[in-house]
Amino acid sequence: MNQETPQKKRPLSQNGRIFYLVPLAAALIPFFANDYLQFIVNMIMVYVLVTVGFNLVIGNLGQLAFANTAFFGIGAYMTAILMTYAGFTYELALVGAAISGGLAGLLASVTALRGIRLYYLAIITLAFGELMRWVYIHAEPVTMGTDGLPLPDVTVFGMSMHSETAKFYVFLLITVLVVKGTSNLLKSRVGRAILAIRDNELTTASLGISTANYIILTFVWSGSVVGIAGAMFAASTERVFPESFGLTEVIVHFAMVMVGGAGSLIGSVIGGVVLTALPEYFRQFPGMEELFFGAIIIAVLLFLPKGLVSLLAKVSPLFRERYFRE
Amino acid sequence: MKTTSKWKLPLGVLAAMGIMAGTAVADDTTGLTDTTIKVGVMGPFSGNASSYSKAQIGEMAYYKMINDQGGVHGRKFELIEEDTACQPAKGIAAAKKLVSQDKVFMMHGNSCSGVAMAVKDIVVESGTPWIVAHAVNPNISMPPTPNVFHGVPAGPAYGYTMGKFVMSKPGTKNVVMVEHSNDWAKSYADPTRDYMKTKGVEPTMVLAMERGQTDATAQVLKIRQAKPDFIVASLYEAETVIFLKDLKKYGITDIPVMGAAGTDLENTLARIGDIDTVKNYYVPHAFIDTVDGPGMKKWNDMILKYYPGETITGFSYVSIGSAVAAVQALKNAGPDLTREKFIAELDKIKDFDTGIFATNITWSADDRHGVKESAVAGFVDGKPTVMKSWNQPM
Amino acid sequence: MLMQLTVSGLSQGAIYALIALSLTVVFRATTVVNFGHGDFVLGGAFGVYVLVVMLGLPFLPSAIAAIALMFACGILISRGFIDPIKAGPHIGFAMMSISLGYIFRGTTRSIWGREVLPMPRVFDIPPIFVGDLVITGDAMIISGTVAILLAGFFVVFYKTSIGKVIQAVYQSERGATLIGINVKRFHDMMWGAGLAMGAVAGILIAPISLLHPDLGAGFLIRGFAAMTLGGFGSLGGAVAGGLILGVTEQYAGAYINTALIDITSYLVILVVLVVRPSGLFGKRAVVRV
Repeated sequence: MNQETPQKKRPLSQNGRIFYLVPLAAALIPFFANDYLQFIVNMIMVYVLVTVGFNLVIGNLGQLAFANTAFFGIGAYMTAILMTYAGFTYELALVGAAISGGLAGLLASVTALRGIRLYYLAIITLAFGELMRWVYIHAEPVTMGTDGLPLPDVTVFGMSMHSETAKFYVFLLITVLVVKGTSNLLKSRVGRAILAIRDNELTTASLGISTANYIILTFVWSGSVVGIAGAMFAASTERVFPESFGLTEVIVHFAMVMVGGAGSLIGSVIGGVVLTALPEYFRQFPGMEELFFGAIIIAVLLFLPKGLVSLLAKVSPLFRERYFRE
Repeated sequence: MKTTSKWKLPLGVLAAMGIMAGTAVADDTTGLTDTTIKVGVMGPFSGNASSYSKAQIGEMAYYKMINDQGGVHGRKFELIEEDTACQPAKGIAAAKKLVSQDKVFMMHGNSCSGVAMAVKDIVVESGTPWIVAHAVNPNISMPPTPNVFHGVPAGPAYGYTMGKFVMSKPGTKNVVMVEHSNDWAKSYADPTRDYMKTKGVEPTMVLAMERGQTDATAQVLKIRQAKPDFIVASLYEAETVIFLKDLKKYGITDIPVMGAAGTDLENTLARIGDIDTVKNYYVPHAFIDTVDGPGMKKWNDMILKYYPGETITGFSYVSIGSAVAAVQALKNAGPDLTREKFIAELDKIKDFDTGIFATNITWSADDRHGVKESAVAGFVDGKPTVMKSWNQPM
Repeated sequence: MLMQLTVSGLSQGAIYALIALSLTVVFRATTVVNFGHGDFVLGGAFGVYVLVVMLGLPFLPSAIAAIALMFACGILISRGFIDPIKAGPHIGFAMMSISLGYIFRGTTRSIWGREVLPMPRVFDIPPIFVGDLVITGDAMIISGTVAILLAGFFVVFYKTSIGKVIQAVYQSERGATLIGINVKRFHDMMWGAGLAMGAVAGILIAPISLLHPDLGAGFLIRGFAAMTLGGFGSLGGAVAGGLILGVTEQYAGAYINTALIDITSYLVILVVLVVRPSGLFGKRAVVRV
């Protein structure tokens, strides 16, 4: 596990460029996919970012925070609100969603820093998420309540984003940028510090590393990423509803992180892809969603605690990440 | 720059494929063969609103019965069920799948207004004829679009019915409303409020009672202080029972309660088990008879034939009426069916007696709200009775 | 009105107290917070429904059988699902319990998802009227059962050796093992006890609430709110917290706005954890990371 020397790994991370083939190949999807499949592919990118963001807090930082649906909903509602009431273009609203998601992350980190940890953190963030949903429902003059808040025509730099194909290319660009940015963050000293905090916060602090700053940074980054995913979700559905951010969503996010591999960026991408695509494949069996996500998390916890990425890492060294122990 | 030639071939292939993808456009006979008609049935088959999907069960039982009778002009219905879970994002995926992958001829169904609003543009753009069979938000079919039809009383029709019934009780001035904070409840409560306003009555109090609450003491005690003439309760089945029981518990048995469509008298009584508690409960009832009445027997038998073990409630009937009308329009359109002909025939449905709705269906190109009114059911001498207005049995 | 709200709040609160206490028992004994508990609470009620309504058995034996069944479920969960991941991070426990709850909910939904099931009422006690005040048979049965159960529980916990074992394991698992306690079996028993107590709450509330798969989430969050209010991990606090929460919901609904009833528990959690994480009764709760 830990025996490999850094020398062995360095060339591998350079081979990581091969991962750019994924978005390049994906760019061809619109030539094959019908409207439905294209929508699912777009949703896959939304959930890849949801998972990337969530995994930072759960997997990398090791904090049990449930606020991810709240970040997601805040991003989506912020996009719709900024576009509807402030006349923002989609590009600007996207930035707004990232900032508001980040602020929500800041709030969550403040509670974590106040010593509200583990189960306290889980429960308070769970309550926060549900409270936000109550706000979406009851802040009717702004959110239009359960009728849902429709987005004005979504355009990017003046071009219409109404078709699934147009959305796809915009989403693909955003996804690549965010995943690359997160990857760089995790490879920097920040990433090392975050892992050190997860493994032993006290020791890390005693080494003179300002743990508080890193915890805040992780939460803010996570919130922003998920906020961006929310903005993409809003563009995808073109109308934002409170029901999209309920408790079932929590288990979906968890499942994506766990199935991909807690603490692994590649795992996040895999988890987001697999668990958005699979339920669509199982559409014929309605009502199975709770059973499916429940069972898949249990199976991973019992038999594959490091997620799918740990299997892949056994097959090819490409899927090894420097700070993810498979 | 050297790479240009290398990329030429793949790019050419891609361009060719792009053109091919672009040409695969739906035409007027999409979803038809000589022996089948593909019908997309979207509904909340899973999730916390899955009890609405009884509506799709009833509708599919009717289509299956027509299949067993030989279909329409030799074509049998091929029903494609798609789950929406009452979630907009899932509903969008379902609609896109039906339109661009399964390529259905028509769509019939949908229970959740939120989902219906979310998928409306997709369906309209695709030109697929869509009969909205359960969702009541009037904006789904208003303003009219070429291919969307409402086959249930929409919110305003129910609101008109509920409001009119409340106001038909002599001397109604003081009305208290109790409702869930969701789109289902609002689609009944808001039009009811609007109707009462036209008669000069504003609700004295609007109280929230959320789904999953197990107690209505706070609401009932407030009502006891307000001493209303009528209560409008837009509550789901379980909460209706809790609310009525708490009214009884605190001695309020003489104030009539107007419920929303979706609850029905027989099942409410069965769940409460005490006629005294429900004797003043009224529900909009769009059908010719009550659940256990003789008029509904043939429909109950039909549903149970295809879905044995199904518990029949008010939800079960909602979509059958529009299915009857759809089948009639398909018959009228003749053997050379196209979407255009089908839509034209739907628009020719006038004052059509479905044999299940108490009110006839009328569609036209500029008004797609097919059912304009509903009756009300209440207990008269302990027996469920369909009524026109206060103290006026049909 | 105030008295009436209090009476009805206490009756609701008794249920919350039972749920919070059953959560606390598992937490104290195993340091695992059971995020699937709301669904297990319903599990007891669904068990009774199957036995009484579908199989036609009498109520009391059915209730006992359902509680025993949930006890067995608890042992199964402890042995089959929690113990194997003991070596992993603590997050795993939370996710395991949520997932088990979802499996439970998914199962009930795939069987009864389209129905709202009425639960038979067994003891139909007429209400008592004290002036303007109404005390229903349900309220009396609930409060009575919960009171008896709590009394029994606290006697066992504070007056018997079992209680001392619980304390010992909570303070140090290794220490407990050293003095010859079979910690594994003890965890099984406590999971069983927690689920069985939760099942009692479910069986008591179901005749009032009717039965449908979505009640679980509300029970869970109210259980958490009660625990938080009373100081996380405190047994007496869980009970007091439950009662206070029940009454607070009623007051907030009647005197401020009925829309608040549904979010009282969320607000309680947020406010208490931010302002006074140790709960109302002040003793600093211990959370071991």
